[in-house]
Amino acid sequence: MTDALSNPGAVKAAPVTRPRRRRSRTMRRLFPYLLVAPAVIYLLGITLYPGLFAMWQSLYFVRFNNATFVGLENYADLMRDREFWQALWNTLVIGTISLTVQTVLALTLAYHAYRDPWVKGWRILFLMPMLFMPSAVAYLWQLAFNDGRVISDILMRAGVVDATIPFLSSVWLARLTLIVTDVWQWTPFLFIIFVAGLQSQDAEVEEAARLDGASWFQIFWNVSLPLLRPVIAVAVVLRGIDISTMFASVTIMTAGTPGGMTETISYFIYRTGFRMFNFGYASAASVVMLVLTIVIAQTVVKRAFRSGRA
Amino acid sequence: MARRSRSERLWLRYLILFTWAAFCLVPMLWFLSIGLRPRTEVITAEPIYWPTWSLDAWHMIWRDWPMRAYLINSLMAIAGSVVICVGLAIPAAYSLARYEYRGRDDIGFYILSTRMMAPAIVAIPIFFLFRNLGLLDTVWALMLVYAAINLSITTWIIRSYMLDIPKELEDAARTDGASDLTILWEIIIPACRPGIITAAVIAAIFAINEFLFTLLIASTPAAYTLSVALANFSGGTDGIIYNAIALVAFIAFLPVFLVVLMIQKHLSRGLTMGAVKG
Amino acid sequence: MAAIELQNVVKRYGAFVGVREFSLAIPDEEFLVLLGPSGCGKTTTMRMIAGLEEPTEGRIVIGGEDMTEVDARDRDVAMVFQGYALYPNMTIYDNIRFPLRMRGVPATDHDRLIRRAADMVELGAYLDRKPGALSGGQRQRAALARAIVRQPQAFLMDEPLSNLDAKLRASMRVQIKHLQRELRATTVYVTHDQIEAMTLADRIVVMNQGAVQQVGTPDEIYADPANTFVAGFIGAPPMNLIDGVADGGTFTAPGVTAPCPATLQGKVVLGIRPEDCVVGGGNLTGSVYGVEPTGDMTYLTVNVGTRQVEVKAARDFRAGLDTPLTIGFDPRRTYFFDGATGQRLRHGS
Repeated sequence: MTDALSNPGAVKAAPVTRPRRRRSRTMRRLFPYLLVAPAVIYLLGITLYPGLFAMWQSLYFVRFNNATFVGLENYADLMRDREFWQALWNTLVIGTISLTVQTVLALTLAYHAYRDPWVKGWRILFLMPMLFMPSAVAYLWQLAFNDGRVISDILMRAGVVDATIPFLSSVWLARLTLIVTDVWQWTPFLFIIFVAGLQSQDAEVEEAARLDGASWFQIFWNVSLPLLRPVIAVAVVLRGIDISTMFASVTIMTAGTPGGMTETISYFIYRTGFRMFNFGYASAASVVMLVLTIVIAQTVVKRAFRSGRA
Repeated sequence: MARRSRSERLWLRYLILFTWAAFCLVPMLWFLSIGLRPRTEVITAEPIYWPTWSLDAWHMIWRDWPMRAYLINSLMAIAGSVVICVGLAIPAAYSLARYEYRGRDDIGFYILSTRMMAPAIVAIPIFFLFRNLGLLDTVWALMLVYAAINLSITTWIIRSYMLDIPKELEDAARTDGASDLTILWEIIIPACRPGIITAAVIAAIFAINEFLFTLLIASTPAAYTLSVALANFSGGTDGIIYNAIALVAFIAFLPVFLVVLMIQKHLSRGLTMGAVKG
Repeated sequence: MAAIELQNVVKRYGAFVGVREFSLAIPDEEFLVLLGPSGCGKTTTMRMIAGLEEPTEGRIVIGGEDMTEVDARDRDVAMVFQGYALYPNMTIYDNIRFPLRMRGVPATDHDRLIRRAADMVELGAYLDRKPGALSGGQRQRAALARAIVRQPQAFLMDEPLSNLDAKLRASMRVQIKHLQRELRATTVYVTHDQIEAMTLADRIVVMNQGAVQQVGTPDEIYADPANTFVAGFIGAPPMNLIDGVADGGTFTAPGVTAPCPATLQGKVVLGIRPEDCVVGGGNLTGSVYGVEPTGDMTYLTVNVGTRQVEVKAARDFRAGLDTPLTIGFDPRRTYFFDGATGQRLRHGS
């Protein structure tokens, strides 16, 4: 040991001389942009290009391979289109109810599960519905509500109703089937995030509140919930985005019936474009939605993610 | 007094949790029973709750449909998209997490905001784009679309894990003589491996679940994936073949469930794109 | 090993000045400590030497070569970090090997060099562990081994001991000094702990708010502080600083009188170290605020007017609260500073 130390040359390997790199300032400044560029270019490819394409196409009346320039006529038509507004309204109504129900359920479940000794088991159990393909879940509930009449059968056996319920012929029953489907599959999403949020809270705060004599509901309402707010914001915003693009269940279960009262905006665009082949008109609707999305992203989402990180 | 209120609360807790567990499980088990019964017992005058167990659907999907091709299509599209996605996301995440430069936050938010884009909005242009490129009805198109859908999520998840790596680690590597790319490859990527795996798993799940694009792009069996094959079981004169659908749903569910069990700890962080640390 | 030279180095972040006009020559084999409170610019200075940050102005010369624009990876300096910065995915062996690989040292030499470095820090038995399986002190030694495995131009150490508990810190301090002497390695060491600075350094640079306050040997820094900042930063407890007025060879402040050079006039600050005060004597009149026996001596805090003065008293000194008492100063050990600028006023100047 001391031998090596008293003679540092012995430790030293063959001296390695390297060229002293003087990386230019421009290169150094450019480097992070180069790293992020491929991803950004790729994403521009599926957002900017389609956005511009949709804007361009929205100015035309497109039929098969013919495109006739019609100016802003598509937009004018759209603003007068009762079906478009109905689809927007349906999306809002179904989305709001579904999101509210899911949030309340997930909060209740998370609050009761997160300190339970079997919390891991509950998590695994509860997250299962989320892992099925949304289209499969839509078929599941389609069979349960309509084709198989299972829900009606159970309710009849329980004596709640005396005849098969025609879920597809009533506006609110049809909407209810979509909501149940969404709640069943996606409450777990919020549940898992809320549990994580609650578990990461400092247990001492809650203990202090309990020592101060607060009831469990007071603790939940005054201590846990405010601390959980940024987490709730992020989770609800993400869930809200996904609900607003609800498509698979509508296609498979209701196809907009009855009378377009369950048609969501995604389904409206799909139907106009790919069922009626009115691409120019569908593009106009896309552009309107794009503008709405950007506005919402810039306001709500930006704030939610900023507070979520704080 | 305190004891009583505590046991009351436990009673309430388990009532709530078991009720929800039943609500989760019963439809699943019932759907599984659909997959394991003959087609004649799916839609009947009176619903049948205890069917004649049979593997009819299992035989049917392999015999009457190119299930194997669907599976391979799905796997290729998903694996390919995850590779593209993670390959693009890692450098992007590194740039966003570690460098300070003008426009960084805007670029980061732009990437995040593509998560908000409804598939329906871009569906029509993308459809035309792939048609013009001659990529309709190919697995390649699905791969590219899935990668695009998931790029924002994977970038933000990986970024969040990279933010947790102490900056000293890179300074140390730099003074040890490592280049920027060596640091990324040898230090950063191994150190945030859980994040990368989480991102990959979540990207894969989203890819399996994707429905709208897949429906548009894969309109012939050559590019059918599991998710569209489902829709296909409802086409034609046969009506909806529920037992086949149920079985395929569980075939797709099983691997997803197993993988998710492995990343359970990271799930909430992954689902919120890193905003909530579980 | 090599000498390091900083020539008029300045670091600005926008309008904020991180480091002001820093010029210093560090001769080969010197152990230099940068000492100051957090945010004083000492770490920034070190990071500029390492090449992790670029100076806004000035040059940095290592081993006679201008390194100002050279990448950190080509500077050939080794750095030890406060958080150890061991690569978590690699074993200790691979951690120590990393700089060798990066610098293209022939692979045939690796094993011999790694084992020798590990033996120097007595870590030979832990080479196949991952950093997560080591204690704080072992991690610290692994970080040292990674720094010494190659023969760098210089060692840079950024508060390497501050994450250790007090006992370990003392023993690692001795090890680091021993290692530095044996390797005869030019070392720049950053700390906010004046005990570390005093015990380790050949020379200390005291910094505050980005500016160098004083450069000198530990003895000079202790015995001959250049201003009130240095005087108030060095020593445990540090020097008592008493604002008062000098007039005709006498310093006066409420409760305090002391002789001072006749040349002093007006507002001045008197400095006296706690160890240069004695209980009894006629320089200060006050009352007892607190008495803290430590075994080998007793710390005594005295209320004088509106201020407090620390005194190191004999180990058997005891007194009740508010006991009136007088304190005497060793007249050869009183310091005077300008009341406005805080600069030292030299006797007879």
